[in-house]
Amino acid sequence: MRSINLLFLFVLAVMASCSSDDKEPLLTVKVDAVANLHAPQEGGRGEPISGDFTKFSFETGQITTDDTNWDIAFRGTSIIVNGGVSLGTNDEPARSGNAAIYIASGTMASVNSVEESQFLQDSDNGYAIQGGSDNGWYNYAGDPTHIISPIPGKILVIRTTSGTYAKVEILSYYKDAPANPDAFSDPDAYYTFNYVYQPNLGVSTFE
Amino acid sequence: MVTATKSVRQLSSLPLPVQLISKKQIQRINSIRMSDLLNEATGLTTVADFGGGEGIQMQGLDAQHTLILIDGLPLVGRSAGTLDLNRLAVGNIEQVEIVKGASSSLYGSEALAGVINLISKNTEQGIHGAIGYRLATFNTQDIQADLSYGTKKFGISSVVNRLASDGYDLGNDPDIPTVSPYENYTFSTNAYYQFSKKSKLSVAGRFFDQEQAYVSSNELAGETNIEEWNLSGKFTHTFNEQWESYVELYATRYYSTEFLNEATGENFSDANYDQRLFRPEVRLGYSPRKGQSYSAGVGFNHETLARTDFIKQPEFNAPYIYTQYDGKLTDRLNIIAGARFDMHNEYASQVSPKLALRYVLSNLISLKGSVGYGFKAPDFRQLYFDFSNGTVGYTVLGYNAVEEAITRLENNGEIANQLVPVAAFNQDLRPESSVSFNLGTDIRVSNQLKFNLNLFRNNINNLIDTQIIATKTNGQSVFSYTNVNKVFTQGIELNGNWDFSETLRISGGYQLLYAKDKEAVKAFNNGTVYARTSPASPSFQLSASDYFGLYNRSRHMANLKLFYQYTPWKIDGNIRTTYRSSYGQFDGNGNGYLDQYDPMVDGYVITDIAINKSIYKHYRLSLGIDNVFNFKDRQHITSIPGSLFYTKLNIQF
Repeated sequence: MRSINLLFLFVLAVMASCSSDDKEPLLTVKVDAVANLHAPQEGGRGEPISGDFTKFSFETGQITTDDTNWDIAFRGTSIIVNGGVSLGTNDEPARSGNAAIYIASGTMASVNSVEESQFLQDSDNGYAIQGGSDNGWYNYAGDPTHIISPIPGKILVIRTTSGTYAKVEILSYYKDAPANPDAFSDPDAYYTFNYVYQPNLGVSTFE
Repeated sequence: MVTATKSVRQLSSLPLPVQLISKKQIQRINSIRMSDLLNEATGLTTVADFGGGEGIQMQGLDAQHTLILIDGLPLVGRSAGTLDLNRLAVGNIEQVEIVKGASSSLYGSEALAGVINLISKNTEQGIHGAIGYRLATFNTQDIQADLSYGTKKFGISSVVNRLASDGYDLGNDPDIPTVSPYENYTFSTNAYYQFSKKSKLSVAGRFFDQEQAYVSSNELAGETNIEEWNLSGKFTHTFNEQWESYVELYATRYYSTEFLNEATGENFSDANYDQRLFRPEVRLGYSPRKGQSYSAGVGFNHETLARTDFIKQPEFNAPYIYTQYDGKLTDRLNIIAGARFDMHNEYASQVSPKLALRYVLSNLISLKGSVGYGFKAPDFRQLYFDFSNGTVGYTVLGYNAVEEAITRLENNGEIANQLVPVAAFNQDLRPESSVSFNLGTDIRVSNQLKFNLNLFRNNINNLIDTQIIATKTNGQSVFSYTNVNKVFTQGIELNGNWDFSETLRISGGYQLLYAKDKEAVKAFNNGTVYARTSPASPSFQLSASDYFGLYNRSRHMANLKLFYQYTPWKIDGNIRTTYRSSYGQFDGNGNGYLDQYDPMVDGYVITDIAINKSIYKHYRLSLGIDNVFNFKDRQHITSIPGSLFYTKLNIQF
């Protein structure tokens, strides 16, 4: 018991000395989740795809309709980032920022630092997060279930428009994240995801 | 006696793992189709494909890797890689031979896992005939008539079979029955003429015709039609006690058409598949003394396929040559050594060697082992498919169709991103190949009690799989085929047979199987595979032991059969039970592998019973129930409709 108390005091002392060295106190890392972010698309199935992307800002943790102040945006299974150039599909927003994204392999707990060299931006050739089954974040089961499921172990790492970092794990593409989604009856294009946002500029870890 | 080595041998003396199903057994269990029969054999199970066809899985290898023969001649018509075993009536079969392990050294392509050979009945002397009628659940009616006439000089036998059923519905889809009503006919005839003691001509023909309703939604309905025929002629000449030869011509065609009409009667879609094979073969046999034989053959496969959604009408021309030695080096050691060379106009030539040994250790035990090479040529679909799905919008291209089709899609502005350069398709697609090892022992405890044990391992290279080669502007993908996967299957097979008394016989079998993809094993070992338990839960890392293996493979399969015969009452009965442990059908958690967190199909037991009674000399009445305990898993196994009750009457003269 006594040794534990000593250790506790020691930790407190170290923490105190650390914070007194910093010029500004660090903001706390935000751990949050988003449920049912609705990102419908029109067209598809051989027709041209259209419809507004649903934009998201990590700083506010909210959906936004702002033209410039967004980080990533969703439409159907497509995910775009506010950096690079537009692929030129209908209703696709212009990229105003220098945001970037990549997919890391691991769990939410194991992906803890940012690899700056991995970042990609959207281009007129394709999105940084590639579409299609098993290319990007999801897997499409095809016949007979037609289920879209997020690939386990794929963590999206994002450099936001303001230069900070975030990581995202998509959990479901169906409304209310059902345990056994049915592609025919459960409404789709409803994203549920966990994210961690590092609000401190220049800090490239998530701890 | 078996013909597994292209020469007639006694089963117990063969150095290969062979199983036999005799006519007597077929009659006692009242089977009507090959699929029923093979499901009861140790280590075999049927797997349904998307089209509803049932193919065989042998030593853990897919249906497309087992060659199916009638009297040594190959069947064609594998629209999705599977040869539907429901096409094959068993009423006029003398025996079924199942040879496990790669046998391409004799049979060429497709004999990667092994060979299943259906041997037709020999024509007996005099006039013989039989009529049989079997009525079963779902109004399944099987009628068969056969008639034969034979003398020493000449013989002919013919069989007509009609099978019709209302099909069944497990209720998975309100608009589409699980199996639609069907009706099919099989006609087959064998004839021989003995010119002299030394020369014999035999001809054989088989014709199969099936019509089945085809329903794809509540608005679209049509029909599927299959026509298949096989025709062969063989002239055998024996020169003297040492030398013999034959010339054989074989032709077969598998032709299927299907259409769908809208409710208004307007045609919605048509599809057809027309495959033909023509094959001449000459063989020479030489046996310098008893128990010693050399043989060599040369032949030519000419194969064509016309099919909807093909970039061209392909033609395969493939000459081949093979040779085999079968002999006793000592009284105890039998060796079979053979090799075959297959040339081809569309893919690299193949040399398929095989070596098999059997050593008699004592009266009690003999050991046998074999090593062989097997291959399966890329099929027409993997080379020439050019298909774009009308509703979803994806495209599938055969390997040789990529260049032309991609150029066309590009010119139409349909390609968004080329992921695999077209130049990658300049080389030939390689055949899937395998090296198979079998090591076993036959143990004969007594005349009544026998066991055999076999350890097997198949190393398969260049397995052909689909890959995404481009993305389309509509957001869908372009798929093509490539040689990627290396898989292995390995396991143990054990069979036992106990003639307990004159009246009671017990037999049983068990197979343990591990079937895995080598890349997947590596990925699990490296810790790069993740899973989640439910969609709302975060993912976690999987360990090596979480990898289950390939889809549709059960770790354990077993059977136990009890045959009882009470001669005073001319009655016989049997109970047969087969077990299959759980297996996975698809990746349910999106990591691309079958792991233990994926949904599994539960293991199951199926028990069949049959009772037969002979009345007077010529009548035989049968009653039976297949799947007595009414096992069903409608979500996962659409080929099992539940209990089937039947009765059968057979009249022989």
